[in-house]
Amino acid sequence: MTEAIYSLRPLLAVLVSAIAIPLIVASYRRPNVREGWSVAAALAKFGIIASMLPAVLAGEEFRWSFGAYVPGVEFALRADALGMLFALLASFLWVFTAFYATGYMRGLDEHSQTRFFAAFAGSLSAAVGIAFAENLLTIFVFYELLSVATYPLVAHNEDEEARIAGRKYLAYTFFGGGVLVLGGTVLVFALAGTTTFGETAAGLATADPTLARAAFAMLAAGFGVKAALMPAHSWLPDAMVAPTPVSGLLHAVAVVKSGVFGIARVVLDVFGPELVTDLGVGVLLAALAAFTLTVASIIALRQDRLKARLAYSTISQLSYIILGLGVLGPTAIKGALLHIPAHAFMKLTLFFCAGIIHVETHTDYISEMDGIGKRMPLTMTAFAVAAAGMAGIPLIAGFVSKWFLLIGSVETGQAVFALVLLVSGVLNIAYFWPIVYGAFFESADTADEKPLVRGPFGGHTPVPDGGTRSGESPVDRSEETNYAVDRNPSDHHSEEAHEEHDAHHGGPGPDGWQWAGWTGAEGSWLMLGPILAIAAGSVVLGIVPYEAVFLELIEQIVAGVSA
Amino acid sequence: MSDATLAPIGLIVVPIIAAALSLAAGLVRDRSGWMVALAALLVEAVLMIWLVDAVYRGPGRLVHELGAYGRPGSDGFAVGIELVADELSVLVVVLISVVSLGVLAISRRGGPRGNAFYSAYLLLAGGLMGVSLTGDLFNMFVFLEIVGLATYTLVAADRSAESAVAALKYLLIGTTGASLFLVGVGYLFLATGTLNMADLAAMLAGEPSFVEEALYGDTLVVAGFGFITAGLLVKSAIFPLHTWQPDAYSAAADSVTVYISALASTVAAYAFARVMLTVFTPAFFEVNPIAATAIVTLASVSIVAGSVLAVMQRRVKRMLAYSSVSQFGLIIAAIGIAVHPAAVDAGIPFAGIERTAAEFAVIGTAIHLVGHGLIKGGLFAAVGTIARTEGARTVAEYAELGRRAPVRSAAIAVLALALVGVPPTVGFLGKWYIALGAVGAGLWPLAVVIFASTVLTLTYVARLLERLYFTPRSVALPDRVAADGGTAAAGEPISPTVGAIVVIVLATIGVVALGFAGTEVTEALDPFIAEVFNS
Repeated sequence: MTEAIYSLRPLLAVLVSAIAIPLIVASYRRPNVREGWSVAAALAKFGIIASMLPAVLAGEEFRWSFGAYVPGVEFALRADALGMLFALLASFLWVFTAFYATGYMRGLDEHSQTRFFAAFAGSLSAAVGIAFAENLLTIFVFYELLSVATYPLVAHNEDEEARIAGRKYLAYTFFGGGVLVLGGTVLVFALAGTTTFGETAAGLATADPTLARAAFAMLAAGFGVKAALMPAHSWLPDAMVAPTPVSGLLHAVAVVKSGVFGIARVVLDVFGPELVTDLGVGVLLAALAAFTLTVASIIALRQDRLKARLAYSTISQLSYIILGLGVLGPTAIKGALLHIPAHAFMKLTLFFCAGIIHVETHTDYISEMDGIGKRMPLTMTAFAVAAAGMAGIPLIAGFVSKWFLLIGSVETGQAVFALVLLVSGVLNIAYFWPIVYGAFFESADTADEKPLVRGPFGGHTPVPDGGTRSGESPVDRSEETNYAVDRNPSDHHSEEAHEEHDAHHGGPGPDGWQWAGWTGAEGSWLMLGPILAIAAGSVVLGIVPYEAVFLELIEQIVAGVSA
Repeated sequence: MSDATLAPIGLIVVPIIAAALSLAAGLVRDRSGWMVALAALLVEAVLMIWLVDAVYRGPGRLVHELGAYGRPGSDGFAVGIELVADELSVLVVVLISVVSLGVLAISRRGGPRGNAFYSAYLLLAGGLMGVSLTGDLFNMFVFLEIVGLATYTLVAADRSAESAVAALKYLLIGTTGASLFLVGVGYLFLATGTLNMADLAAMLAGEPSFVEEALYGDTLVVAGFGFITAGLLVKSAIFPLHTWQPDAYSAAADSVTVYISALASTVAAYAFARVMLTVFTPAFFEVNPIAATAIVTLASVSIVAGSVLAVMQRRVKRMLAYSSVSQFGLIIAAIGIAVHPAAVDAGIPFAGIERTAAEFAVIGTAIHLVGHGLIKGGLFAAVGTIARTEGARTVAEYAELGRRAPVRSAAIAVLALALVGVPPTVGFLGKWYIALGAVGAGLWPLAVVIFASTVLTLTYVARLLERLYFTPRSVALPDRVAADGGTAAAGEPISPTVGAIVVIVLATIGVVALGFAGTEVTEALDPFIAEVFNS
């Protein structure tokens, strides 16, 4: 552990948006001032974190401590390289999300905007707290506070669907956090006498291996709930009822990345790669991640709702990171950690595109998006770029991280995972390409059938009288599919509820899509600007990942862990 | 300067005398009860501060011999009653004093009035102080009975039929419990010949020269343990002996509920802790390990059952009452861990100091006793004022209250999350220590239950939070025609009293602030812990 510089900056980075909360609430009558506080807090947060970056790159760490929170454990924040990775990502993306959310909420004239922006600020506060936590107990405190702060965002719409999603969200995240992570933390403390990252491995190595495995399982499962590792993933598609900036926040920046970050801390700092290999739990984690990867991609193929497809894509992509952490060679870890910002940029772009499409055209279903490239060219271009990155096309961020993951798997002799990654790449193309192709190269009248979405299982069989008989009756537009597993991706989410909820008026309209031009007439620049900026960011990250700071940080992390 | 051993006696006597004064003052001037109570409780607060200073900063454990009878006999046993103020009892004394004053702020406008009410109120305060400060087992029974009688009266104070029935139920079950306690005390007296707690502990350990061996295996002693445990578990409302509690809490007037929920079962749980730790000591449980297992098992059942029953309730006060059943299960479990043979030997080394799992359990007990009292008191206070001003008593009627009563709803949200155990509140702190005790001792089923209690508590808390903020009134109460709130009685909306809001906000702030007080409490309790585990 390097000697840390005592500094208030980690604390300030966490608190600056917490301080913004009462200011936001107090400005409820003046929306521009209120949104101004969000932007100001985001910029301040990013500024504070960025100011620590040069020193961290040089190998130093910043530390702040409250003192002993419980005997033996301090409530302390430490800005080290891994923490800086997450914090930098979260604060940078929040700046853009603040603008985007303003555009989105105003575009839809949403209710309870003050509560929304206040909860947003609180969530970011908790996320940076998770990033900078020095020990398991501190990370647990912020983990729970993140659950509390994001719940109002999930249940924002206040209709039945949102309430159900909110209940599910609370149940899953509190089970993961309050039960599993707390249990793992207590167990680690009982076995090792400390919970500080980097200092627990010695004690755990000498403890009873069954108990150490149990602690790993609990911590990985607890963080894995937020990281949407199967089978604890189903809260995520349900949380799609939230407004799109929230989906972006949940799925790119704060919540799911905090789960993955937690697993990274557990694997790299609590146990350490050698101990994980000795205990044999890395392979299990990687196998579970591989399973999640593949199954989520397959489920994504059948989703007609764009946000649902993106949700399953997220579940799949997060497991890339967990796979890399389970495979454990230095290259694989590098790939996994690089995928954190890479996926964040790409997925945020995709969600923001989905959001602006919803605001401008009220279209939520892919089958209604044929030809929408005419109406929203800039948006769909950004979408295409980000989707290409997801599939691992070179020049965009996803390629670099995937490359490292592939090499890492082969290096450690677990080439089967490389195969899984390649298959997943194909599946990614399979579920993203139709959207892009349909948007630019088709129009509403001449659109091709989408057999994967609409076709029944079992296929069609031609019948003598000229019609077709299929294994099941063809899918009706008004219900996604006949299958419970698709209609209810969770066990009590009901599609019927969402039909009543907003009279579906999406789609191109009687004259088809209107050409909007390339100058941004398609929507508000409050939303377009962030989309284009973040899409550009994902390209930058794909071309010069080292100069874009993230890869440099990651190489430092890996060097520190292997030392 | 008089020495601080006067403080314990003052703390008990002042409210009892004031109770009589309140009745007398009622002859002269109606509505004077509140002033008398205020004066008495302010004096109590001063005495409490004096005692805190003496015990935590000064000499430490204080003993006051009532009547100064001394120890004349050849066996060196105390003949009179001793009042003992040590680090654990003073924590409870502080809670009692603070809560009594707080409820006074609420009951001025909100609660039952009348000098008889305040007389019973003060009597309850005196009784509670007595249970916390006594060092004599039979005296503890007497004060437990005083607490009980005053509580029965207070529950029936609003003169409604429902509260009369609830009070009767409480009386029948409570008296049965107290009688069981008395039988247990009697058995111990038969076995040892003394009622003083310190002397009892010595006798049971076999220390005096005229005793051949430790009496821990003696049938009378074990039977005494059984009866005492049963009696105190009735008073602490542990499942399945809890049946008096939901009725008593929900039928009583709102300020009465705040008072008894924060204090009555708390003090009974404290009494249990005191008897187990000081009289029986972990040595008894080493000889009778099944006793510790029994306590832990019963407590686990209570944790789960209380939460399950809470989810099923429609009325908010009943839901919170069942929540208490669950939370006290947690406290009793902590006491069980503290005396469990596996925990007493299990060391947890950290930062150069070695502490045993049992020590962590003791700290957890103390923190959760006080913390839960604050949380529950604050919750019932907020619920009470909402019932008064909005007329909302069931969970469904809480819909949209997040907009109509923002401060109180926010307080309820924070307090409810503290109940779940979200850090950095005091609810989390207690749970951390207790969980550490369970895990360190290797009591895995209990550890699973303790961790699961987070989610179990969440089930009923989330329902309430969802109604407050995310459910429109039309959805929650589809049969009501009028969409506006307001009370059922008057057309004009009532606003909550300043006193009530101040109390609720202070409770909320206290709950979060105490969440950071882990090291202070540990240091404060260290002398007590040393005495329990090293003697």
